[in-house]
Amino acid sequence: MNYPVWQLDWAGGGLLIALIAVVHVYVAHFAVGGGLFLVLVERKGLAEKSAAIMEYAKKNTRFFLLLTMVFGGMTGVGIWFTIALLNPAATSALIHIFVFGWAIEWVFFFCEILSLFLYYYTFGRLDAKRHLILGWIYFGCAWMSLFWINGIIDFMLTPGDWLVDHNFWSGFFNPTFLPALFFRTFLAFMIAGLFGFVTAVFIRDEQTRHAMIRFSGKWLLGPFILLMLSAWWYKSALPAALQELIFTNMPELTFFIKTFALLSPLLVLGGLLMAMLRPQKVRLPIAALLLLIGLVYMGCFEFIREGGRRPYIISNYMYSTSILKTDLAKVQAQGVLQSARWLKNREVTDENRMVVGRELYNLLCLSCHSIGGPLNDILPIAQRFSSSGMNAFLASMGKVNSYMPPFAGNNEEREVLADFLTLGLVHNVPRLKTPLVQQDVTPYPYDPEAQYLLAAWALDGMGFTSNPDTSGLDFSPGLPEIRAQLIHRGKAPELLSAGVSVTYTLDVDGVKITGVMAGEDGYFRAEISALANVQQPYHLVEVEARGDGAVLARTRLMVAQSSEVDCNHCHGQDLAAEKQGLSRQTAAHILARHDKRSKTALKHRFDGGEIIVCGDCHADASRGMPGQKGILNLSASIHGFHAAYMAKQGAGACAFCHPTAAQGASQSLRGLHHSLGFDCLNCHGSIAEHGAALLKAEVAAGKVSAGKLLKVIGDTSVPVESIVARVPWLNMPDCLACHVGFQPPETDSAFNLWTKDNEEIFHNRKGDEGVIFCAACHNEAHVLYPAKNPYGTKLDVQQPMQYQGNSLPLGANRGCKTCHTVDMEDEMHHSRSLADFRNVPEE
Amino acid sequence: MDFRTLIPSADVLPVHWAWFQGLLNVTFVLHLILMNLMLGGMLICFIHQWRGSSSESERFIVGKLPFFIAFTVNFGVAPLLFLQVIYGHFIYTSSVLMACSWLSVIVFLLAGYYGVYIYGIKWESLGRARGFVSGIVACCFLLIAFIFVNNLTMMQVPETWLRYFDNSKGLLLNIKEPTLMPRYLHFILSSTAVAGLALALYGDWQMRRGNEEKKEMRKMGLHWFIGSTLCQVGVGLWFFKTLPPEVRSFTGSLPAWLFSLFLSFSILGTLVSVVLALGRKVRPAAVVVFITIVFMVGVREIVRVQYLAPHFTVSDLQVVPQYSPMLLFLLFFAGGIALVWYMVRLVMRGLEVQS
Repeated sequence: MNYPVWQLDWAGGGLLIALIAVVHVYVAHFAVGGGLFLVLVERKGLAEKSAAIMEYAKKNTRFFLLLTMVFGGMTGVGIWFTIALLNPAATSALIHIFVFGWAIEWVFFFCEILSLFLYYYTFGRLDAKRHLILGWIYFGCAWMSLFWINGIIDFMLTPGDWLVDHNFWSGFFNPTFLPALFFRTFLAFMIAGLFGFVTAVFIRDEQTRHAMIRFSGKWLLGPFILLMLSAWWYKSALPAALQELIFTNMPELTFFIKTFALLSPLLVLGGLLMAMLRPQKVRLPIAALLLLIGLVYMGCFEFIREGGRRPYIISNYMYSTSILKTDLAKVQAQGVLQSARWLKNREVTDENRMVVGRELYNLLCLSCHSIGGPLNDILPIAQRFSSSGMNAFLASMGKVNSYMPPFAGNNEEREVLADFLTLGLVHNVPRLKTPLVQQDVTPYPYDPEAQYLLAAWALDGMGFTSNPDTSGLDFSPGLPEIRAQLIHRGKAPELLSAGVSVTYTLDVDGVKITGVMAGEDGYFRAEISALANVQQPYHLVEVEARGDGAVLARTRLMVAQSSEVDCNHCHGQDLAAEKQGLSRQTAAHILARHDKRSKTALKHRFDGGEIIVCGDCHADASRGMPGQKGILNLSASIHGFHAAYMAKQGAGACAFCHPTAAQGASQSLRGLHHSLGFDCLNCHGSIAEHGAALLKAEVAAGKVSAGKLLKVIGDTSVPVESIVARVPWLNMPDCLACHVGFQPPETDSAFNLWTKDNEEIFHNRKGDEGVIFCAACHNEAHVLYPAKNPYGTKLDVQQPMQYQGNSLPLGANRGCKTCHTVDMEDEMHHSRSLADFRNVPEE
Repeated sequence: MDFRTLIPSADVLPVHWAWFQGLLNVTFVLHLILMNLMLGGMLICFIHQWRGSSSESERFIVGKLPFFIAFTVNFGVAPLLFLQVIYGHFIYTSSVLMACSWLSVIVFLLAGYYGVYIYGIKWESLGRARGFVSGIVACCFLLIAFIFVNNLTMMQVPETWLRYFDNSKGLLLNIKEPTLMPRYLHFILSSTAVAGLALALYGDWQMRRGNEEKKEMRKMGLHWFIGSTLCQVGVGLWFFKTLPPEVRSFTGSLPAWLFSLFLSFSILGTLVSVVLALGRKVRPAAVVVFITIVFMVGVREIVRVQYLAPHFTVSDLQVVPQYSPMLLFLLFFAGGIALVWYMVRLVMRGLEVQS
């Protein structure tokens, strides 16, 4: 925020520092370990009075000088230059906090140079004792350089008490200072052994060569156990949260941790091979290979250490975006555009949206993400997001993705950055939806004299499917279920079930499907398995009741079963896919992310052709799947996990996965409440609140992971402590929470007032008479009469139109004759059932 | 846009700013002398190669160059560190603006450093290619100097920083700065002068020890010193004229008074040193040159203060005192000097014993 950003693009994401740091650190450790190596080789040569060893010692010193002093020294300055260019704010902080630490290190750097020059140029010109003293002085100074640098480097990872007292010594002797010092010292000795191999293989005298290779082998193998012990100490000294971040929560580091672990025995094996094998043809390539392995080994360690700091450049003090932790809230409040110094644009307009997006990218992203480069390339990431998906992802930073800093800007800036990433940087134009071919349907004609009334409704007016047959991933709720009640009209209507058969018919992709509805206690039901995979969101179902072979009644209803599951907003999309619904590419990405986060192997099974059913592990009550013990149920898991991403998106969050988008292909929110301006949040709360309620029930059930998700759930309008836990598909929004006593509501929020059991759920609830389902007259909760389907005014009001010639709930406005054939005086179904219907739509 | 809004806010200091100013100037004097020996020495070698007048002196210089480079870099670290402490918000910014060339300093330095080793170690086998190698190395050093002059001038003219919004790829330089070329030439000429004087000093020392063969070396060194310094008169005037009037003001404020004082001593010292050199009084000339360099570093610092005066003065920096690390540094610094003394004595005595 304080400094300009070097707009590196391809070379961004820390590539420069990675390149220069890994080689420098490798050579710098050699400069320490190698210092002792030189002295001890000389001592060995003197003790054994071996001219060959002494010659090797001198040649080795020249190689050492040219490598460590020239390359090591210059790249050391190079690191300083580089960090100051890539993150001047952090460099400035380190310089100012530790200026005298750096200055002391400079003193030792000077003494190193002088002693090494003197050591090399007096080889053979001084008596042994004096010459060895120079060597010891060099080693002492080199190790002291490590001592001082180590304190500052590890301060960045574990600043310890400095965060509180800002005392030089608290920061320098931080919690990982000692273990890191030991670790690096042993590593330096091992690296000296690796370089020793490379120089020793060139000794002409075979006996000396073999002796020096074995000598180098001791340097590699001797400190190994100590290195492992200090590594363990190092890890233990890390704060618990940091350990969890590095070893559990950052899948990006897994590669480096595994490689480090894998290379450890390889180095030992290589060292043993070098000691045992004598043929020169074998030794030289092994020595070179070991040197390379050492470099990778060092690189892995540095990547783990650097990665462990994320999202900070100085842990718990300064984010990698150069924003101080203490300043973040202020920056978020006033916005990046008003906080940063080096910005050209302070306001967003339609014309400069992409330019501002780029400026925000430079400030907030470039330090970790290159554009098209080899390190943390943003392009493949951006390519899998839509703008709204990216917006959700940016909002999740610092929560689910705790290794990324929280987004520092305001809502508008987040949208602008998301647009730049997905429309400016890559051209991720959302996939065109399959055009809806549904046409309006004329209801059966109104016949006031009809003997029977067949009421039929779908259990879920918001049904959706992940199209498992084509996507390979099945997280669809239970199959669409329809229910029907057959009423014999009369003064005292009779509910018919015995001796009656009810069938349903629908057309699925040109194929006529017929099924029999099972008779239950006072109603009929059927699950329509033909709708497990669909393209169109609405499906006209004909229901027919027969008795003694004759048709008693028939009616129509719309079953909503949409494939509009827009995981592709964040999980990538198959741009070539022409069909609506979850693509295999998107499903593959979801599973890959799941594997990465939860250490599963689902993607492999998916690639093998298996359909992955989420309910196999995550309990799904809508399908009667018990899941696996200890694992979150599907609703809690999906909503709880994604809440951190979408908490700021209001009802838009729901539209990512449910077919509620205002401009979507389904627009399944089409009931009375929607007409009145309500959205998902009025009943369910925001996704954060919804997720919190579900997670709290899982916490109560003893599931540990629920607690972790609950911690990062995102902003809720009421404190999480006040949110009432709910079990999915059992504790549902309760209509009577607003319509207390069936009276006009005094509130517009049913959130947090859940049904207590199965009987209270709207689609199971019956009138006071205990016979007629609420949904038989009102339709399903999301499609309450008078419903307005965007694709046809009569589509979702087939039965009211058929039975009473209007779109109101059956029997509304004292239309008792719909069933009773006479007017009634008692409100036997529920209070106010004889009152005027308050929300008659304008025709 | 007002460029003043671009100036970053500074971090707090652990001790009073005067400590850093003092440490900056002391270490910079040492860096400057070593840098002059490195750059000037290399330029002298290259020009002699180019002229085809390769001599023993050139071989002598080449043998010393690795030391000069190592210590130039080492003594460059300290003033850059202290500069970053008090002027960090300026130098970091200008560095980012010219990031590509600034970072390329390391590449040129590595190339030049290894080039010098090749030049020295492969002296015989290189033959005529010596001119080529010395040319490459000289170019590397000249480029480094050019980049440094760019950065250290750009840091003090924040009004030029607005160019960042047209080029944020780190490709800027400070080419249009009026003082850039005279300042650059001033440093180049200083380096050949100081390197020449050092050569003369060595030749003189050898002659005093009875090695009359080094007379030529002394003569050549003095030629370089006198010639470069006389050229410096013109360049110095040019440099002075390009400075903004408020910067080269002689009166009116303490910095202006100090500027006139330091500059007068510098000019006087330069004249005296040339006169002494003409009289082949090498050692007095070297002492005067050293004192002159100290005053010139003072002038340079005042110029920076004056340039930045409208935007910043070091006394504005906030101090949250913690003196113990500085005390430890001073202790280590003294210990370092003692250790250097011990090592040098160890080697000298050892060599005496061996001989």
